[in-house]
Amino acid sequence: MNDIFSELEEVTVEQYDHHDLPKWLADPVLMVARNPEAYQGKEYLIEILVAQVREYDVYAEAGCCKWAYDHEDIKRTLRWLEE
Amino acid sequence: MAIYLDCNATTPVEPSVASAVVRFLEKDFGNAASPIHDYGVFALTAVEHARGQVAEVVKANRDEVIFTSGATESNNLAILGLADAGMRNGRCHIISTAIEHKSVLEPFEEMARLGFEVQILPVQSDGRIDPQRLSDAIRPDTLLVSTMQVNNETGVLQPLTEVADILADREIWWHVDAAQGFGKELEQLRHPRINFISISGHKIYGPKGIGALVVRKQNRQFPPIHPLMFGGGQEQGLRPGTLPVSLIAGFGEAAKLAVRNNGDRMKKCQTFREKALATLSALGAEQNGAEKYTLPHVLNISIPGINSEVAIKALKNVIAVSSTSACTSHTHTPSHVLTAMGLSFEKVEQSIRLSWCHMTPEVDWSEVENILRALRG
Repeated sequence: MNDIFSELEEVTVEQYDHHDLPKWLADPVLMVARNPEAYQGKEYLIEILVAQVREYDVYAEAGCCKWAYDHEDIKRTLRWLEE
Repeated sequence: MAIYLDCNATTPVEPSVASAVVRFLEKDFGNAASPIHDYGVFALTAVEHARGQVAEVVKANRDEVIFTSGATESNNLAILGLADAGMRNGRCHIISTAIEHKSVLEPFEEMARLGFEVQILPVQSDGRIDPQRLSDAIRPDTLLVSTMQVNNETGVLQPLTEVADILADREIWWHVDAAQGFGKELEQLRHPRINFISISGHKIYGPKGIGALVVRKQNRQFPPIHPLMFGGGQEQGLRPGTLPVSLIAGFGEAAKLAVRNNGDRMKKCQTFREKALATLSALGAEQNGAEKYTLPHVLNISIPGINSEVAIKALKNVIAVSSTSACTSHTHTPSHVLTAMGLSFEKVEQSIRLSWCHMTPEVDWSEVENILRALRG
């Protein structure tokens, strides 16, 4: 069950250390990743969050089509996780 | 209830897939095209998540997955959708093979009616197309080559890598009907030379009524396919209509599991295969299609002295099997696939297709053997 949470932690650290994910966004995501008990039953949203962090792009909204995820997407998923 | 051995017709649904479908039917029922509130945004998020899960199976980009109702529609979109480009550019020669599903062969007939020159390649007795024949058939005005990945009746894997080599430096669109191999044989479909891939959800433990056409971009542009329907602009203008979010979410889950559990599934199917082969070989059954190219979950056999319809009826309380593809089994016409492979009429009439999956329970093979022996008298 915790595999998806470990995956979330791994991709978040990777995106923060080596790509553009900012600290203010990485921190709340890591809080989720490191507290699997608090998010039991919400694994589908965690899966979505993994994909959004993995495909995070500061400029996702730029251009005609949006084919990456930006901070708004991640913030929204974090909000759904708290509902 | 008989044990279901007709997984090439359709597979059972994985429990987590069913849960995903129910969730988006009952609770999260928003319209993905109305992202003006959380209902719509969540639906859109689920669709894009599923799109990524499907893309991952073939290592495509998320924006290259166009959701359709299934592989039949995808085949039609890929083939008929190129008609306009072909006519504009004077490229009116199209090639396919004799063992394709009707949802490829009939759009090819429609292309012929529109004025295209259709060339159907024969197949070898092992159930595979001959790449050299394809190479010889290509002309300067060839617009499209359409080849299946895995045959639905025999389970035989086609030589797509060789086809990719032949098409490597040619400006010909290549469509692959992968209804039977998507999510099962993973490597072939990841070849970047393939322009179009048709897939179905219900062949990979997902729901019926959902599939996709993967359209690989070249130089960031879609191949010049034209939509077959209009009104709404969904799916990048290629397939309008309100997206069935529940089916898409289920399809995405099924695609995820197909990658994650591929090794385990193959292993279980192989174990099942060995038991089936042992029983059927003892009856003198002959396999249709070369064993070394056949995926582990399918077996097409002809049993000497036993008509397939008689066998299927006699076995109906023990195992549920078929004699040909689901889409043509109601017509009682001899299999065009086995006929194309050069089988005699008698052998075609004796052919049975057994197809199973990782969820298939144990079969009492001794009972199967006894029933079939009794039929021989």
